[in-house]
Formats: sequence, structure tokens, C-alpha cells
Amino acid sequence: MAPRLRPSAILLFLLALLLAACRPAADGSPTLSVEPSVSSAPSAPAHSVYPLTLTDDAGRQVTISAAPTRIVSLAPSNTEIACALGACDDLVGVTDFDDYPAQVAAVTDVVIGAVVDVEKVVAAAPELILAAGNGLTPTSVIDQLTGLGYPVLALYPHDLAGVYDDISLVGEAIDAQGAAGQLVTSLQARADAVVTAVAGAERPRTFYEVGVFEGSIYTAGRDSFLASLILLAGAEAITGDPASTAIQLEDLIAADPQLILLGDAAYDPTITPASVTARPGWGDMTAVKDGRIVVVLDDVVITRPGPRIVDGLEALAKAIHPELFP
Amino acid sequence: MGATAAAPATTQAVRTGPSLTRVTVVLGGGAVLLLAAMVVAVAIGSVGVGVGDTAAILGHRLLGLPLARSVAPGAESIIFDVRLPRVLTAMLVGGGLGLAGTVFQALLRNPMADPYIIGTAAGASLGAIAGLMAPILLPALAIGLGSSWLGLGLVQVLAFAGGLGTVLLVYAVSRANGRVPVVTLLLTGYAVSSVLAAGVALLMFFSGQHLGAIFGWLMGSLAAAKWTNLAFAAPLLVISTALLIVRWRGLNLLLLGDGPAANLGLDVEREKLVLTMLATLATSTVVAISGTIGFVGLVVPHVLRLAIGPDHRLLLPASVLFGAALLAVADLGARVAGGIPVGIVTALIGAPFFIWLLRRSRLVRPVITQ
Amino acid sequence: MSAALRANVLTAVEGVGFAYPMPDGRRREVLRSVDLTLARGDLVALVGTNGSGKTTLLRLLTGVLRPDAGVVRFEGRPVAAWRRLDLARRVAVLPQQLDLPVGFRVAELVGMGRAPHARRLFASTEADERAVARALADADALELADRFAEELSGGERQRLLVAMALAQEPDLLLLDEPTLHLDLAHQVALLAAIRRLRDQRGLTVLAVLHDLNLAAAFAPRVAILDDGRIVADGPPAEVLTPDLVRRVFGVQVDEARTADGRRHLALREV
Repeated sequence: MAPRLRPSAILLFLLALLLAACRPAADGSPTLSVEPSVSSAPSAPAHSVYPLTLTDDAGRQVTISAAPTRIVSLAPSNTEIACALGACDDLVGVTDFDDYPAQVAAVTDVVIGAVVDVEKVVAAAPELILAAGNGLTPTSVIDQLTGLGYPVLALYPHDLAGVYDDISLVGEAIDAQGAAGQLVTSLQARADAVVTAVAGAERPRTFYEVGVFEGSIYTAGRDSFLASLILLAGAEAITGDPASTAIQLEDLIAADPQLILLGDAAYDPTITPASVTARPGWGDMTAVKDGRIVVVLDDVVITRPGPRIVDGLEALAKAIHPELFP
Repeated sequence: MGATAAAPATTQAVRTGPSLTRVTVVLGGGAVLLLAAMVVAVAIGSVGVGVGDTAAILGHRLLGLPLARSVAPGAESIIFDVRLPRVLTAMLVGGGLGLAGTVFQALLRNPMADPYIIGTAAGASLGAIAGLMAPILLPALAIGLGSSWLGLGLVQVLAFAGGLGTVLLVYAVSRANGRVPVVTLLLTGYAVSSVLAAGVALLMFFSGQHLGAIFGWLMGSLAAAKWTNLAFAAPLLVISTALLIVRWRGLNLLLLGDGPAANLGLDVEREKLVLTMLATLATSTVVAISGTIGFVGLVVPHVLRLAIGPDHRLLLPASVLFGAALLAVADLGARVAGGIPVGIVTALIGAPFFIWLLRRSRLVRPVITQ
Repeated sequence: MSAALRANVLTAVEGVGFAYPMPDGRRREVLRSVDLTLARGDLVALVGTNGSGKTTLLRLLTGVLRPDAGVVRFEGRPVAAWRRLDLARRVAVLPQQLDLPVGFRVAELVGMGRAPHARRLFASTEADERAVARALADADALELADRFAEELSGGERQRLLVAMALAQEPDLLLLDEPTLHLDLAHQVALLAAIRRLRDQRGLTVLAVLHDLNLAAAFAPRVAILDDGRIVADGPPAEVLTPDLVRRVFGVQVDEARTADGRRHLALREV
């Protein structure tokens, strides 16, 4: 996916600075377009009208009968979206893996060890459930919760645009379209700033290390969200199998990365540029010979498709082009 | 009457089966145990619901009594929509597995036999995984995913068909000269299962993020229990259970061997076919709604044989009752342990228990030879 | 055969041939053309070399095998025309050996012999239980009733098998080498019991035996099966001649007389 180099991006950047509090009105359809509408007339944010029917990322039609005041989130990214839209106090159930913002630690865990405890969800009496799509929340669980009568929105963004869409979707679901609009605008602005900044720079062949276990190497899958972020951050991504995200060592050597980003160093302090250099077979890679191996500690925000994803994009861009982001 | 029946009836009668007392104790005890297990399993869960509330809710939903007490929010839904179908499913599945295991151990004259041994698990697994991965492999199918057949999803239908189809295949391949020798059936089942298992492994390798769902299905879980699955499974299990329980004489005779059984009037080949198909029907039904839960079908018959003897007249109904109770309790343990698949709990209980049985070396093998 | 005689025939083997299918597609011919008739109350010993087809003949008599040539009749009708269950009520087999399942009591195993007569779905009738008692008594096994099968000695196990066969209340009893695992005393006791049953109850018996002298002492009629045919059939004194024995069994024997004048076949130098 090629980075976006539209002239309107620069215009938006200026507009966003001037119109920080306002945003062009939404066009009323549930899925908002990625392209910011270049309208110069600011207007008041729309209010959601209930009962409301939305289409989630799995293509399901979900009906919400009234503005939800009790929200259960089944994924950390969904929790962050809800909090970013000002609904943090409405959360009555989160996962035990949620860590941001700090106040969610006090909320009851309804997902423990990646297992959704349906009884706890029911006991929390939610008016809206935000699930993870693409099987991350098991389909059977979503079916069960839907069967019990709860509105369940399954969110699964494939790329940055998808994150904006999800934020807008949740904003419409909980009647926080204004906050959603502002958030999307500022995220888009920051993202476009990154894209603009790296526009003319050299794009190194970059390998983002997700994990190396027992001879299997895991990286960004082809056409994956992570690969798209690397592209936006101004690099050429070396990618692995779309399904397993694995890459064979000989394929990696043949791709000859110029830059290696150690995403797994955030979780394992033994992974360092020195340890990578010592790996058999890795020594011939340009990145190793040039010493361009960078430890990336922001893997959480790089791989969590929530409001902080642009933090991740910025972290990636900084790791790839340190000279452009002092 | 035959030539030897001419003697006067002066000899006293000799009891040839369990006494009425014994039957009452065993089956009555089993029923009581099952009821107790059901009550306990419905009453306990990760969210505490008081006994009084539980009873009130059950009375309200099952007997139509008015809900006098004010119960906690969500409690009614938890008890009736989440826990009760799950506990009933556990009972149905446990009973079916116990029964099928007993039948296969006698039919195959093999103490290591379980309900899956002639290919049901491998075939159902392949079907289920194909169903789990169909939406990504064949996106065109995703259009019809919301629909269901008889209240079942694609995974259940393919699992059911896979289990039944595989056994039919194994049976057909094992047939020679109109006979199906038991050893051939066992070996063919093993061979076909191995091939299908390789197919399963291959699919798992390419499954990507679905691996967790696939693993959960293979371990067996009752988390997805719902009333529509019960509506499908219950009639099939009731029918196959009834038809199997009345065939206790044939199963006893088969323990003597094909020849002696035939001499005693049993149509051996027909009986083997009927028993295999009924037991496979029961097994495929439970696998379709709960995945491949292990050890129940293997251990329950052995334990019962040690306790009450090998006579199938009592053993068959007992295996249904005690298998159901066992799985209801095991599922309770699975829920309390954090929602792990119940197949892990049965393996953790079953394997050490089985080793203990073996070490006692009084393991009741169905047959000894002179 | 006169009408009266024909009516008395229980089972008849007429020109029967049988060959076993081999794995390579060929067939191993075991019986060529066998003729044998048993009237009600007959007591016949069937002897022959190993592999001569004695067990095969028994299996043809019960209908487990179908003859390739000829016909086997029971009460005038071909065995193939009988319902399996009906035939099992009339014909019982005492097999050479039987897999005895562990954990059953003797009475329960004998009760399995009542299977062809079973009427109720779950319970046994009083008639069944009396038949079992009678069978145990006839087999001299009443005191074994509550013992477990796996605890029995060889002789006791044999008596159990006899009781199981008798529980079927058969008209025709087929014995396949019943004396194989027994010591001499038990062999004699078993055969004496069989003969007593035949005398008292009119049981028809065909026993495959390997001991020629025992056969001669036990049965008033001996049939020799050799090379797929019945080569001799009649009183033992006429059938078991040294000449025939040498021809069939390849062993030289001499006729001798016991102290009380009974005929005995004695082996020459081994």
C-alpha cells in the first residue's frame, strides 16, 4: 500500500490546527469514509437517534435501543476507544489484559486469560458489548451473547482507516459522535504529519521482528495492519505468510533487510542488537553488517488497534527515520 | 420345548441375573447421584447465585410458578440461559459417551476401546475444522453462515456428518465375505483415523488465528451449549440409548465370541452392524455439539464393571447415568477452574485414575481365553 | 428309507461338500460328499484325522456354514430354511474352547444359554431359571453356580460349558472334542453324563472324539470321516478294525480283549 501523498493532506493539517474543536458534519451513514471531507463550514456534532441500527466489522446488523450507559469491552483496544470517547466511567466489564488508562484496573474483569466468562458478562448487565472481530473473541461467544439479547459490536480494523471507522462507529453507538470526530481528526492529522515528514526520505527494507521461537521467525504478515503501518512510517516492509505470519530464514536472508526493528525486545530483555548479530545465518544481512538494529519498546501501541495506534506509527517512524524525528 | 425339558420341575430356580434389590440400588443410586450433580452444577458458577434464588428461578421457568423473590439482575438469565443448558448438555454428552464406550468395548472385545476408536473422532474433527475454516477458505460460504440447519451451525453439521460418514467407510472397508471380523474393524478404524488426523494437522498448520478455536474444539468444551443444540441432540440420544439398552443380551453373547453367539441364535453380523451404527450415532451427536471429550467413554465402563460386574443388563443403563453425572461434575470443575475446556478436566482425572486401575491389575478385561 | 424311519430322522447330511475360501482366491476342499443320518435318540461318535473336517461338519449342522454341494436337513427341512433363533432352540454346541468373559458367575453364563428362548425384554422368566437349574444339575455343576468363571479349574470349566449347552434345552447336542482338556476321570464322567442324558431324556448326540477306545466305549455307533467322506458308519466293532485304522490313521493297532471281554485297540510298538 503506497503512502498517501495527497495535497489535501497538507490542507487538512492546517485546518486541523485552526479548527481543533470542530469537525465537518458526518454524512449520516454508519461507516464513515477515510478521506476527511474538505468542508470549510464547521457545524455542531450530530446526536445519535435511538433505536439505532449499525453494521459492525463482521457485517452484522446490530440494533441498540437506547444510549448505552453500561459498556462491556472484550478487548484492550475497545476499552481504550471507549475511554478515549469519554465513556470510561460507563465501563462495567473489561479484560484482565487491559492496562490503559490506569483507571480500568478497577473495573471488573469479565475476560480472564482470554476466556470470556459469560456469566460475569451477564451479571454486569451491559447495554452494549464491544467484542473483537475475526475470531479473536470466539464466534460462538458472540453468538451466545447475541442470543441472550445483548447488542454486540465486533470490531476488527485492518488498517489505520479501519481504526478511524471503529472509533466513529463506537462514537455513534454511544452518542459521542462529537468526541469521536475530534479524536479521528487529530489522529488523522498526526498520521498525515508522519506521512508528510517521511515523504522524500529513503525507504529502507525493514524487518519488524514480532518473535523468534525455536527456529520459526514471526513478522508482519503480508497485507497486514502492521505491514501497512510500516509502509506509512516510510519504509519497505519485509513480510511473512498472511495466515501464520511466519517467514523462513532463507527468505529473510534473500530479502536482505537494511533495518531490523526488534519489537519483541519490549517483552524480553535478552533480545538485543548484539544477540541478533550473533544468530547463525543473520550475519550477512545488510542491517546486521551496518549495525542498523533498533530496539522498539512501543510494541504494545504498535500492535493494539486503538486510539494510541498513531502513537505506534510515530514510534515506528522515529525508529526508522530517527533523523527526521528528533 | 427340547428333549432335555422332560424332567419334573423339582429343582429349585437359580438366579441368572441381578436381583431387584441390586438393580434398584445401582440404578436408583445413579439417578440420585445424577440429580444431585445437576443441582450442584446449576447452583455453582463464577457468579454467585443463592440457592433460594436458583430454586425460585427454576420453579418460575420450568413449572410456571410466579417469581416472588426479587432476584439479582441477570441471575435469571445466568441460571436459565447460561447454566441450565450447559449442565443438561453435559449430562446428555456424558451419558452418550458412557453408553457408547460400553458398547464398543464389548463389541470389539477390547478394553482400550472408546467411542471414537473406529474413526468417529477423526472424521468429526476433520468436518468441524473444515467448518471452522470454511469462511476464510471459501468466502462465498460466509454468505450462508448466519443460517443454520435444524438449529445447528456449519461446524456441527459437518462434524456430525464427518463422524457418521467415516464409520460407514471403515465398516465398508472391513467387510470381507459378508463378515466384519472385529480385529479388522479395529485396525481399519485405526488406519483411517490416522489418515484423517494427518488431514486435521495439515489444516491446523494453515489455520492462523483460528488455531485457538480449533484446539478448543478438539479438547472438547461445553461452553457453547445452547437450547437449539439440545433440541437436536436430545431426541437422537434418547432414541439411540433406548435402542441400545434393550440389546443387552446380544452384547453379553458377543463377549463369548462370534461362533458361540451365532450358535445361541444371534444374527452376529447384523447385530454388530446395528450396534456399531447406534453407538456411532450417539457418539457423532455428542461430538457435534461438544467436540471430542476424552476419557469418559473409556473409563466409565471399566469403573462400573469393577463395581457392578460385566452383565450388560445393568451395565448399559448404569453407564448412561454415571457417565452423565461424571461429566456434569467435570464441567463444573472446568467452569470453576477458569473456563478451561472440559476435555482437559476429564483427561486430568481420567488418566491418573486409569493408571491406578491398571496397577490394581484387576482391570476387568471383557474377555479372557482358556 | 421307510416313512416311519424318515419321520424319526432328526438331522440328515446328504451329499454335502464344502471348501474354505483361501486368501489367495483358491479354495481348500475339506468335505467332498458326506452322508450321515441321525435319528432321534442316536448317540454317534465322529472320529477322523486332524483336518479331516469334523469341526466343519459340525458347523454345517448348525447352519453357521452353508454347504457348497448337497443339503443339510433338520427335521426334514434344509437348515438354511430355518430361522436362526428357531434352530438355536433345538441344536446346541459344546465347543472345543470358549472365551469366558471375566466377572460373570457360572449361573449367569449358563443363563446366556437361555438366550434363544428369551421372551422378556429385561427379566428372565421362572421357566428360564428352572431350566438353568436343571442344566446345572445335569452337568453336575450345581455347586459351582455362584463361583466366578475365571476361578474354575479345567474340569469345572468343562462342566460349565456342558451346562450352558444343556440350558438351551436342545434336541440335538453336538460335542466338539469335549474331552480335550480333561484328565481321564473327568473324561469318563463327562461322557457317562452325556449318555445318561440321552438315555433319560431322548437327547440326540453327535460327539467328535479323538480317542478311539473312548469312542468305542461311549457310543453305540461310530462314523469315520476321511478324505472328505464318511468311510465307515456303524457299531464300533465293525467300524474300528485294525485294517481301517491303519488306512485312515496310518497307525498299526491290534485288537485285544479286556478282562471282561470288551474290545480294545492296542497300539503296536511306538
